Amino acid sequence: MNAHFLRQTLPILGGFILLSSFWGEKKPHRMPYREAGLTEHQAAAHLLSRLTYGATPGQVDEVARMGLEKWLEQQLKADLPEDSLEMQLAPFDALKLSNEQIVATYPKNGQVIRMAVRDGFIDKDSVKADRKAYRDIIRDYMDKKGFKPENELFRQLYCQKILRAAYAQNQLREVMTDFWFNHFNVSVTKNDCAQFIPVYERDVIRPGALGRFGDLLKATAGSPAMLYYLDNFSSSGPADEMRPMRVARKAQGLNENYARELMELHTLGVDGGYTQQDVTQAARVLTGWTVREGEYFFAPNRHDKGEKVVLGKKFGPDGGEAEGLELLDMLAHHPSTARFICRKIAVRFVNDDPPSTLVDRMAKTFTDKKGDIRQVLLTMVYSPEFWSPQAIREKTKSPFELAIGAVRSLHARIAQPMPLYNWITRMGEKMYCYQAPTGFPDKGQYWINTGSLLSRMNFGLALATGRIRGLSFDLAALNNNHEPESAQAALVTYCHLIMPERDLEPTIKRLTPMLTDPRLPEKINAADSQQANAAGGETAAMVAPLSAASLTQVVGVIIGSPEFQRR
Amino acid sequence: MVTRRGFLKGGGLALLGVGMMGGIPGFLAEAAARERIVSPYKKRKVLVCIFQRGAMDGLMAVTPFTDANLQAARPTLFISAAKGGNDNPLIDLDGRFGLHPSMKAFEPLFRDGRLAIVHGIGSPNNTRSHFDAQDYMESGTPFNKGTASGWLNRAVGLLGHDSLTPFTAVSLTSALPRSFYGDNATVAISNLQDFAIQMRGNPMAAGKVASSFEDLYDQTTPGLLKETGKESFEAIKMLQKADIRNYRPDNNAVYPNSPLGNSLKQIAQLIKMDVGLEIAFTESNGWDTHFNQGAANGIFARNVTDLSNSITAFWTDLSAWQDDVTVMTMTEFGRTVHQNGTGGTDHGRASCNFILGKDVNGGRVHGSVDTLVIENLEDRRDLKVTTDFRCVFSEVADRHLQLGNDKALFPDWNGTHIGVMNPQS
Repeated sequence: MNAHFLRQTLPILGGFILLSSFWGEKKPHRMPYREAGLTEHQAAAHLLSRLTYGATPGQVDEVARMGLEKWLEQQLKADLPEDSLEMQLAPFDALKLSNEQIVATYPKNGQVIRMAVRDGFIDKDSVKADRKAYRDIIRDYMDKKGFKPENELFRQLYCQKILRAAYAQNQLREVMTDFWFNHFNVSVTKNDCAQFIPVYERDVIRPGALGRFGDLLKATAGSPAMLYYLDNFSSSGPADEMRPMRVARKAQGLNENYARELMELHTLGVDGGYTQQDVTQAARVLTGWTVREGEYFFAPNRHDKGEKVVLGKKFGPDGGEAEGLELLDMLAHHPSTARFICRKIAVRFVNDDPPSTLVDRMAKTFTDKKGDIRQVLLTMVYSPEFWSPQAIREKTKSPFELAIGAVRSLHARIAQPMPLYNWITRMGEKMYCYQAPTGFPDKGQYWINTGSLLSRMNFGLALATGRIRGLSFDLAALNNNHEPESAQAALVTYCHLIMPERDLEPTIKRLTPMLTDPRLPEKINAADSQQANAAGGETAAMVAPLSAASLTQVVGVIIGSPEFQRR
Repeated sequence: MVTRRGFLKGGGLALLGVGMMGGIPGFLAEAAARERIVSPYKKRKVLVCIFQRGAMDGLMAVTPFTDANLQAARPTLFISAAKGGNDNPLIDLDGRFGLHPSMKAFEPLFRDGRLAIVHGIGSPNNTRSHFDAQDYMESGTPFNKGTASGWLNRAVGLLGHDSLTPFTAVSLTSALPRSFYGDNATVAISNLQDFAIQMRGNPMAAGKVASSFEDLYDQTTPGLLKETGKESFEAIKMLQKADIRNYRPDNNAVYPNSPLGNSLKQIAQLIKMDVGLEIAFTESNGWDTHFNQGAANGIFARNVTDLSNSITAFWTDLSAWQDDVTVMTMTEFGRTVHQNGTGGTDHGRASCNFILGKDVNGGRVHGSVDTLVIENLEDRRDLKVTTDFRCVFSEVADRHLQLGNDKALFPDWNGTHIGVMNPQS
């Protein structure tokens, strides 16, 4: 197998890396949140809202107690045990397979038909026969051969992402896995690459998510998912006169698609200073990088052996596989890449338009520390910009972040993730299916429109009123089984449980009318204005007993509220 | 300046909003809404834009089939127009251009003079990046990435009246397209049926919950969530009047069961509902055919089948509205003249587009396509852009929506129209 170089360059994870070496010469003592006027608890809430999929009940206190710095150190190490998550993932058998096994077990629908024809199970002309009978034959054939439907593979892929995001202890690694997957996007909508995506995320993205950028870049370049998604698997040099054409009858010719997106989206950025000429030359450098039997394979006979020049640097002649690695290293360490990647990280964690002072500082770390992603994250979190008023609550949750955040804040159990997946799709984020190599745009304006906002409100209601199958939670347990004294008390309690450390007075005030009898609008108005004027007044809401139905509705509205859409 | 919301708050929907919160009966609010909002829109023109993402191979959609250079450049992709011995020839439009056989639904519209084609259309910016080219085409400023607004959003601002309903500009997509970015109110809807606060089997609770949401979004800090929240609730109220679920297209029109077919069906519903729709947008995916794009059959053929059948169904369904509706397709660029080594085509320059409507100067292929000898190709590889997309977009939008200011629609553009629309009668 020729993928050894990739394995070797993958970062060594876990306990091998000494965190102390990160701090190096001038270790910053603490994160500069007090300077921004934040209490330790407020800072913990902010940190959790950015570096995790949302705080679980009590987690803000826990992190504040432990110390934010220590918590971050732990998350960067990413070696917390994941026993209970692993137990939940155990039934998903496809997640343990290699690409080769997946190809053998989950053949594409078209392949199944071709094989069934070849094996004489169906006649070529009967493909258009009665649908049910036809489906039965195919199912029968698949059973006999031990094949499983392709959709089952994708179902497991979607489910594992939801479960990991909701329950992983090493939250930052999951957040960064999502970030890098989106950065090096591949899509289930592209048939050729789809079946390689589970292994791509498992063996390429997640292990490299907190490693070195250059290693991650090389690992993606040599992954079947990416090789198929951006067509490099089919790209080859000019036909060699010495070689009979029949050898290369299938896929002959240069394909620039990967080389272009490599520069535009993966490394330099569109304004990173390259030309169409550089793209073509880089594509030539990467000819021969292809897939054989479900794994990366360098095919020397498909490689363009000529000399190439990319960004002024000479490659070849006869550079073989090594010149591709050289090219990727050059791109990974280019100053344009440092800025482009660091800006994107800052957009994810700070705000949609991060200050250039911050990006510059992160880019300097990126360059100084040779693309070490943990160092870049540390620089970011230890920067004042991370804690500034322009950052706090400024990011809009993506649909996935909203859904998982709701699950986490309610301590909900997910027995069946697919209904949640369907809601995330409805809210505008079809996981693993963003067709373009850009990945989902990471900005509020992309996620929020009149339609998707309504879906978010409906999601909150469906979740809270138990209309999302396979999802359950216990509101009383959330409050340690203390029954709030009144409807008003319940409202206050649950608002703070679900959205810790926020200024919730406006939200609470606006939700109070919900607790009252809908037939008494005058009372609502009275309560509303009375509360606005004075805190002490006894109102209808304050003395009313709370029904379970109205509590769930209140929780639903909290999750659909503008405040909960922010992180 | 009177903003839409300012007007609404002084008029119909303000009343309706109060109706949900406090004592005004629904029927009264509805009557008010009908009076102030619906009736002024009965005779509005509607422009429907379809973005074909991924870059459609214009040379395969509408093939200059008499050009031997093309046949030579595309040994396995070229389709002949000759009928003898070829069971699936091109549809010969004018002796020079042939429509892909899978677009036979377009032929009668073309012969009837309703459908026009512009060939050689593209951007003056020669980027071959999907992202950039789409961005430039949708912003309408091919050399300025920083343009905050999309061209269709600017078109909303040029309609010559305040857009009084949340449905003036609707995108049938799950997210707002770049074309719709900007300060004028637009809405993205992936499915009209989802457009309500849903409390299954409990309408009273739904009303209460809806007003809580409305109030929360109204009171939140100014910005994206507040603005969008407001628009959401205005939109809900307007859609409540129609039976969306049980929609039956007119004239037995059959929409393909595809994302594009479903989107166009919903646009047709909005048009018939008279909710004030003037600009609609949707998209079609899968045009990035680097690999095995096929010829008379295959990926490309399936894509153009869907495109032409969806648009034709929409047109049939809207036969009583055809005077008021124009449909225009667009794609970010075309594809290489030569097929690549993998049975497909790579990113190129010019493509073609389709315009359908009664104002359209149809039944002909506009623009110009040179003989495809290498000297005539852009960068010696791609079909040359001979018509700036802004020239066509502005003519169609100006003429159909009567905007009268294409300078503002496309700020950096100084060209002249090429007559894809009939002169104003």
